[in-house]
Amino acid sequence: MNISNVIRGVKQMAPLLRKELLEAWRDRRALVMAVCFSLMFPAALAGGTIFMIKKQSEDVTRVALLGAERAPLIQQRLRSPNLEVSSLDSGSPRELLAGDYDIVLEFGEDFAQRYQAFRAPPLYLYINSSDTGSGRAQRDIQERLGALQQLVVTQRLAARGVAPRLLAPWRIETRDVSTPSSRGALILATVPGLLIMTLFVACLATAVDTSAGERERLSLEPLLLQPMAGWQIITAKTIAVASLGWLGSLLAIATLLLLMPVMPLTELGIQRATTTGGVIAMGLIMLPLALLVAVLQILLALRSQSFKDAQTQLSIFQIAPLVVLMALDIAQIKLSDSWQLLPLVGHQQWLKGLLVGGAVSPVWMIAGSLVTLGLVLAAVMVGARALRREGLLSAS
Amino acid sequence: MIRVDKICKSFEGQQVLHNLSFDVPDGRITALLGANGAGKTSCLRIVCGLLQADSGRVLVGDADPASDPMAVRRQLGVVGDREGLYERLTVREYLSVFARMQGLSGAALQEALQAVREELELDALWDRRTKGFSQGERMKVSLARALVHRPRHLILDEPTRGLDVLAVRLLRKTLLRLRAAGTTILFSSHVMPEVAELSDRVLVMAAGKIVGAGTPEQLATETGCTNLEDSFVALAYGQRPAVAQTQGEPA
Amino acid sequence: MDSRKRLIPHRLRYSLGITLFAGLFGVGAMAEQGAAEMAAPVSETCYADGWSESLRCYRIPVGTDSANADDLVKLSVLVAPAVNGGQHEPLYLLAGGPGQAASDLVRLLNPLRKLNRGRDIVMVDRRGGGRSDAFDCGFGAEIPNNIELMTAQLAACYINAGERPLTINSRQTVEDLESVRRALGHERISLWGGSWGTRTALLYQQWYPDALQSLVLDGVAPIDTKVFLAASAAESALQELEQACSEDPVCAGFVNWRSQLDNLLANWSHAQASNFPDPFTGRPAEEPVETWMLAGAVRTALYDPAAAAQLPYAVSEASRGNYAPLSGILGLFADMEGAMSLGLTYSVACAEEMNRIDAADIDRDADDTFIGDMFIRIFVEGCKVWPVPPRPYDAPEPRDHPVLLISGSADPITPPKYANEQLAYLPNQQHLIVRGGGHINSPRGCVPDLILQFLDQPDATLDDGCIADIRRPPFAAGAFGPALMPEQAIPEADSLLAQEHSAGGAGENPEKLEQRAIPTEEVAGGDQP
Repeated sequence: MNISNVIRGVKQMAPLLRKELLEAWRDRRALVMAVCFSLMFPAALAGGTIFMIKKQSEDVTRVALLGAERAPLIQQRLRSPNLEVSSLDSGSPRELLAGDYDIVLEFGEDFAQRYQAFRAPPLYLYINSSDTGSGRAQRDIQERLGALQQLVVTQRLAARGVAPRLLAPWRIETRDVSTPSSRGALILATVPGLLIMTLFVACLATAVDTSAGERERLSLEPLLLQPMAGWQIITAKTIAVASLGWLGSLLAIATLLLLMPVMPLTELGIQRATTTGGVIAMGLIMLPLALLVAVLQILLALRSQSFKDAQTQLSIFQIAPLVVLMALDIAQIKLSDSWQLLPLVGHQQWLKGLLVGGAVSPVWMIAGSLVTLGLVLAAVMVGARALRREGLLSAS
Repeated sequence: MIRVDKICKSFEGQQVLHNLSFDVPDGRITALLGANGAGKTSCLRIVCGLLQADSGRVLVGDADPASDPMAVRRQLGVVGDREGLYERLTVREYLSVFARMQGLSGAALQEALQAVREELELDALWDRRTKGFSQGERMKVSLARALVHRPRHLILDEPTRGLDVLAVRLLRKTLLRLRAAGTTILFSSHVMPEVAELSDRVLVMAAGKIVGAGTPEQLATETGCTNLEDSFVALAYGQRPAVAQTQGEPA
Repeated sequence: MDSRKRLIPHRLRYSLGITLFAGLFGVGAMAEQGAAEMAAPVSETCYADGWSESLRCYRIPVGTDSANADDLVKLSVLVAPAVNGGQHEPLYLLAGGPGQAASDLVRLLNPLRKLNRGRDIVMVDRRGGGRSDAFDCGFGAEIPNNIELMTAQLAACYINAGERPLTINSRQTVEDLESVRRALGHERISLWGGSWGTRTALLYQQWYPDALQSLVLDGVAPIDTKVFLAASAAESALQELEQACSEDPVCAGFVNWRSQLDNLLANWSHAQASNFPDPFTGRPAEEPVETWMLAGAVRTALYDPAAAAQLPYAVSEASRGNYAPLSGILGLFADMEGAMSLGLTYSVACAEEMNRIDAADIDRDADDTFIGDMFIRIFVEGCKVWPVPPRPYDAPEPRDHPVLLISGSADPITPPKYANEQLAYLPNQQHLIVRGGGHINSPRGCVPDLILQFLDQPDATLDDGCIADIRRPPFAAGAFGPALMPEQAIPEADSLLAQEHSAGGAGENPEKLEQRAIPTEEVAGGDQP
C-alpha cells in the first residue's frame, strides 16, 4: 500500500468517519458516562485533599488525664493548640476512649515522689489502635511529652554539670533532595492512573456500541457491503471512539487544573508546577493512547458473542492494565528508561512527570508515542481481518 | 447479470450449498424461493462477497466478489433481512453517508438523494432520526440506501417480511420501475403469492441446491401443478414429482 | 537602577586614575556585574545545616565599584524559594552580631515555614561574614579565655588585614543588600532583622525606603540606642527573673539566690576559678574560669528563658560549693563556636558603637549591676587594638512603613524599652512583648503566625492575645529537674554533699568571649553585640 493509496483511502473514509462521529457523539448515555467520570475523579481528588487537610489542621486531640493531680506540671505543659486536655477525677480508660476522648493518660501512684527519686514512674498511655484517629493522637501527645521530657533531661544533665550535647555524639543533618513540586508526586501519584482510567471509561460505551452494538442491531452488514476496506471501517470507528476518550481525558485534565488552585497543596509543601507546555504535552500524549485503547476495545468487543458479553469483557480489560500500573507505582519499581516505550507504563511516567513539573524527555515521549501508534496500526490490521470473520454475520 | 457457478459452502462441517449454479439475467426480477434453512441467505451473502464460497465461482456483472469485492460492491445494492438502521442519524444523514461511501459527491450526491427521496416517498421521514421507525418505514429507508448509488444489481433478502400492504405496494412499484430501467434484481422469499406476483423468474432452492428454475408458469407446467405453491412443494420436497402429482397433495 | 548604571562607569574612570591595579580588577568585575544585571543570576541547588530542604545558592558580586581590590567579594546569598512563588514580596533575614552570618539563620525556616509558602526567604551573608569571605581573624572554635590573649590575636589580625577593617561597616552592608535586591530582581522586599540585624534593617529603611515593604524587628537595636551598654539591661533581666522566681511556688524556695550570686561574683577566688568543672570532660577546666566569664555566663543564660530557669538552682548549689549546675549552664551554649566573624564584629562595633560610648557612659551603665563593666570591657580593650574612624549615624528620619516590633520583657541585651523609647519616628508600628521572653522570640508560640499575618496585612492591627500563652519554662527545682507539683517544691538541700564537692572537685570551662544564648527549643536570630 503506497502513500497516495493511503491518502485516497483516508479521504474515502471521510463519510464513514462522519457517520461514526455522529453516532458516537449523539449517544447521550456514552457521553454522560464519559463526562461524569472526567469530572468526578478530579472533583473527588480535590475534595479528598481539602478534607484531609481540614481534618489535619482542625482536628484536636482530646486527652483525658487520670490522676493529673499527681503531676500538675505535666498537665499544665501538655496544653497546646492541638491538644485539648481534661483532668478527670475518675473513669475507666476503656469507657473514656469509647466516648469523647482520643487518648487517656494515667499517672501511676506516687508519681511525683518517684519522679523526684529518679525511679521513673510509669505513665500509662491508653489508646485504641483500631480507631483511625489514634495514630495522630498518639503522635500529638508524644511530641508534647517528648518536649517536656527533653526539658527535664536537659535540666538534669545541667544540674550534674554535663553539657546536653554530650548526649548527641554526632549531629544528623537531613538533606531532602525532593523539590516542592516533586513532593506533589505523593498526592498526585494516583492522577496518571486515573487519567488513563478516564480514557478507558470514556471509550467503553462507544466502543461496545459501535462494534458489538452495531452487530446486534444488524446494521453492520450494510456497512460491510460498502466499497470500504476493513481497515477503513476499523479506523473510522477507532477515531470516533478515541475522540470521546481523548476529550474525556482532556476534560479531566482541565478540571484537575482548574481545581488545583483550591486544593491546599501549599499547605502540604507542594508546589503547583504544571506548565502550559506540560499541559499541552499531556493532552498530546493522551491522543495515541486514546487510539490504542479505542481500537483494542473495539477488537475485543467484536470478538464477543453479544453486547452484554462485550461489556463484561471490556470491564475486565479496563481493570487489568490499571491494576498493573498501580502495582508498579505502589511497588516503586525502578524501571529503566526504555520501559517508556511501553504504552501505559510510559504514559503513566510522563503524566506523572508533567504533572509535577519533573523532567520528562520529549525524545522518549515521541518514541513511546510512535510505538503506541505502531500498535494502533497493527491492531487496525487485525481488526480488518476480524471483519472478514464469518461468525460476525448474524445467523439467519 | 449475476452468475453463480457450482458453488459449495459448508459451515462447521455441514454442507449448506451443493454445487449451486444459476444465472440472474438483466432487466428481470428473479426470485430465490426456498424454505427457511434452504441456504438462500448464505447464497446471497456469497454473491455479495460477505461470505467466501468453498469452491465454485460467482460473477456480478463482470466482477468476482471473491477476488474483487470492491468492484462488486460498487455495482450492487443490497437490502438485507431484518437489517438495522443507524438510530441516531436522520434519514438524510443516513442516506448521505452511504451515497458518499459509494463515491457520490457534490451535485450528483444531491441529485441521487433527491431521487430516492421522491421515489420512495421519504419526505415525511427525511429529517427524522430513524429510531422508532415502523417496519415499513425502515424498509423504505433500507431500500433507498440500497438504491441511492443506482446499482446495476439489486439483491433483497426477504424484503416483504413484516411489511404492511402499502409498503409492499411501494416495493412492488419500485422493483417494477427498476426492472424497466434494466436493473438485475434478485430477491429471496418463502412467501409464494409474493413471488408469484413479483417475479419474472423463480429459482426454487432446497437443501442447498436449485431444484427448479423458470417462470411460475413454466414451473407449474414442469411439475404439472396449478399454482406456484404446489410447484414449489413438488420441487422442493417431492422427490417424486409424478407421485406428488398423482397424490395431488404436497408432502 | 538607572542612576546606578550611570554611576559605575564614572567610578571606573576614577579608579583607573588612582591605580592601574585596582582599575584592572574593576574592569573584570564590571563585566561580571554587567552580566549579572542583564540576566538573572545563576543559582545552584545547595543545603545549609538546620534545614533539610534544598535552597538556591547565589554568588552575587559586590564591591566592584570600589577602588580597593580587597573589597571584591561575591556575596553568598541563600534563597528558600516560596512553595508557591510570586505571590508576595520576598522576606530578607538579617543576622545579628554584628558578625553573625545570615546563612546560620536557616534554622529559623522551620518555625517560619508558613511564611515560606507564599514568599521567598532570602539570607544574605554580609561581607566578611559566614560564606561571604568570613573575616574571622583566625578565631575559630577556640576563642581564648583570656582577654589579653584575645586582644593580642585581634591586634595581629588588624595589622595583617590591610584596609579591610576600615571598609566594613553598616553602610557597606546596606549597599550590598541593595545590590543583591537588584540582582535578584526583587522590586520590593520586607526585612526581618534579629538583634543587630534590626540595626541593619533600620538603616536600610533610612537609606532605601522605596524598596521596602515592611519591617519585622525582633530584639530591637534602634539607631540611637547604645546597645553595647548592656549592663543595666542585663541587670533588669536578672531582676525580672528574680521576680518570676519569687512568684513561683517552687522557685521561691531558693530564697537568697540573688545575694548568693552577688557573693560568688564578689568573692570568686583563684582556687574556685581553677577548679571549675568542664561540662564536656567533667575534669577541671584547662584554663581558669574567671569572674568576668562567670558573670558573662549568667548574662548569657538570660538570653534564653530555658537556661535562665536553671539559674536560681545553679547559683544556690554553687553557693554551697557544687559548681556542676553552673558548669552545666555553660554547657548549654556550646553550640555556637565560629558563629561570629570577629574581624567583622570589631570593625562595625568599634566604628559605630564604641566610638560613641565614653567612660562616663560605661560607669553610669555599670553602676549597681551584677556584671558591671565586665562585658563591655572586652570591646573597650578590643577596640584599642582595632583603630577605625567613627562612623556616626544621621538622626533617623520619619518613615511610615509598617513595622512589627518583637521584644522579650526579660531580654538582657535589647529590652523592650529601647523600642519603646527610640522609635518614635516610626508612626506605623506595633509592638509584641513576650512576657518573660529573652532575646529573639520570633520562633516561639504563635509569634510566627503573627508575623505572617502582619506581612500579609501590614496595616491591620494584630490580635496578639495569644502571646500571653507563651510562658517561662519551669524552674529547675533540684537534681531531678523541674518539680511536678508545688507541694514537692522543697528545693534540694543536699548541702552536705555539696560541701564535700567544694573542697576539690571543681573544674573550669572554656568560656568564650561571645556568649550567646541560643535556646535549645528555639533558634536565636543573632545577638548583640
